[in-house]
Amino acid sequence: MSAITPIAPTPVTPVTTRRSRRRRVRKAGWNLLGLFVLVVMAFPVYWMVATAFKPGRDALSYTPQWIPLHPTLDNFSEAINRPHFWDSVKNSLIIVSVVVVLSLVLAFLAALALAKFRFYGRKGVIVVILGVQMVPLAALIIPLYIMMSKAETTRGLHYVLGVDKLSGVIVMYLTFVLPFAVWTLRGFIDGVPRELEEAAMVDGTTRFGAFVRILLPLVGPGLVATSIFAFILAWNEFIIAYVFLQSPDNQTLMVWLASFTSLRGTEWGPLMAGATLCAIPVVIFFLLVQKRIAFGLTAGAVKG
Amino acid sequence: MAELEFIHVNKVYGNETVAVRDLNLKIDEGEFVVLVGPSGCGKTTALRMAAGLEEISDGEIRIGGRVVNDLAPRDRDIAMVFQNYALYPHKSVYENLAFGLRMRKVPKAEQRRRVEEIARVLGLSDMLQRRPAQLSGGQRQRVAMGRAIVREPKAFLMDEPLSNLDAKLRVQMRAEIARIQQALKVTTLYVTHDQVEAMTMGHRVAVMRDGILQQVDTPQRLYDAPTNLFVASFVGSPPMNLMEAGVEREGNLLVCKIGDARLELPADVVAERPALAEFAGGRVAIGIRPEDVREASGWDGARLRGRILLVEALGAEQLVHIEIAASPLGRGDLVDTTAQPPGPSLGGVGDVERAVTLLGRFDRHLLLLPGEAVDVAIDPRLLHFFDLETGASIPTVDVPVAAEVAG
Repeated sequence: MSAITPIAPTPVTPVTTRRSRRRRVRKAGWNLLGLFVLVVMAFPVYWMVATAFKPGRDALSYTPQWIPLHPTLDNFSEAINRPHFWDSVKNSLIIVSVVVVLSLVLAFLAALALAKFRFYGRKGVIVVILGVQMVPLAALIIPLYIMMSKAETTRGLHYVLGVDKLSGVIVMYLTFVLPFAVWTLRGFIDGVPRELEEAAMVDGTTRFGAFVRILLPLVGPGLVATSIFAFILAWNEFIIAYVFLQSPDNQTLMVWLASFTSLRGTEWGPLMAGATLCAIPVVIFFLLVQKRIAFGLTAGAVKG
Repeated sequence: MAELEFIHVNKVYGNETVAVRDLNLKIDEGEFVVLVGPSGCGKTTALRMAAGLEEISDGEIRIGGRVVNDLAPRDRDIAMVFQNYALYPHKSVYENLAFGLRMRKVPKAEQRRRVEEIARVLGLSDMLQRRPAQLSGGQRQRVAMGRAIVREPKAFLMDEPLSNLDAKLRVQMRAEIARIQQALKVTTLYVTHDQVEAMTMGHRVAVMRDGILQQVDTPQRLYDAPTNLFVASFVGSPPMNLMEAGVEREGNLLVCKIGDARLELPADVVAERPALAEFAGGRVAIGIRPEDVREASGWDGARLRGRILLVEALGAEQLVHIEIAASPLGRGDLVDTTAQPPGPSLGGVGDVERAVTLLGRFDRHLLLLPGEAVDVAIDPRLLHFFDLETGASIPTVDVPVAAEVAG
């Protein structure tokens, strides 16, 4: 064939090999960097779990013990049997589930308005939502505390707001979970072409019907993703819970974990066991919903 | 099936932007009307008002004699095909097709029967269980069509349904849609910016510009007797050659002066256009279709001297760009800007103000080379005349004279 069609030029070999070798080296460099980042991210998690299984002596040993040589469950039983563990679990679950549900419902409606309607001040609302997230939470603790203690003495408000109240903490959590959730959901809703709902309306649904049958299933993965992040934000929050939930009956798991550090030092073994236990619900929640996210990625690929 | 009627329909956005101005258009039962115009001319807005997706600022829209201004889209019993198909990505092809029937509470068995029949007609039977993401562009287009057809609505509204397809598929689907419409005889309003689509598909074509309806007529009438410079320049591909010309009276004759050339207008041409005499001593816009531009050998009438700039061989014919001495149209605002003929050549006749590039469709056997001089024959009977001020065509009246056309 090549004798008849001499048009196709023979590749100039030395140049291409040098170039491909350079490319391979560069690729290996990026891979190494990726591996390094992975180790930096994953090692603390591994160390936490590993320490949780080590007896107290090994946990504090100066020569690092990479794998627990004498694995034990003592730390776990000690953590679970510590006072207020189950109270903390209950409190954390209440706070987190209420925050996730409320923030998803409210944020979805708000995001819908921002994505679908053109109203006066829309741009302003978007900027404020983004701006609010820039404010450091620690700076708000004192003003929040003053507001909460005042609300305690205000009729009507004192049912919900106040220091050392779960409902008060829920409201405060919403202030930072909501803007984040609105922002994320808006992106997901914007990704659904307007024509899809219009087509459904022409096909015979009401506006609300189009919303339920078309928009909601398509935004579903977005709702799931947002709920995961909202869950993590609320579950891992420490400062507000630490400052506002003073009585041991009301504390969340994160505050309970802090109780392992006392004036006499830190009980590393039980602390790591407790931390491992705290991470488990997040992992379970993610495993439960991650299938929905994977489905969402393929559904989003179809534009119209 | 029903007729679709726009009566003095206006659409104003905010307080000033007028998208559609006093639209009057009646689409008869079973008729296929194409609404065509450059982008931003208000054609899609008009369609969306008919669908109920856009509020009507003023006027009335009737479907089957019933005013639908305040009806929700679902109560109008129309089906719409969207430019981006708008298939429900989370539903299978079957569910997409059946959705409208399900919403209208058609019994399950009946749904199945109708969906399967449509799928068979459109060649989608094998892919009913697939999702839109797994279909090619042409197949998605068919599903979108099928979703409209299966409902058996009073009217089809189609919003540039072919613009996302590649050129070959577009030509194929064009014929298919026209065939389906003919078979079903459903009143159809079809919006496009592509005048070829408009001409080939519609029983009648409505040309719109800047929210104003310019002309509604059969494709042939639109081509033969454009009502103004805009329609003349918009309809036809390649577009009509347009230029300015002087009109002078010489004794009993009216003479048209193109550049330095004199073109005597035969009596029947003048008799057909009584208003033309009023332009004597002034200037008009004249137009001639590319296929009416001829090489002058054997022609004993007036000739225009020209120079060949470019020859585009199209296979069946050749498209020849010829530069002649004439005045280009001064009023660019009266014509379709996208259909402007190519500008004057670089270093051509000399005076740019006095050179016009004439497009001619010539027989493929004619040997023409760029750079050569060529004589062009213009038959005055094939000219179109327009008022330079308003852009309106100089009206013709029927004169019962069998005029012989030069061939």
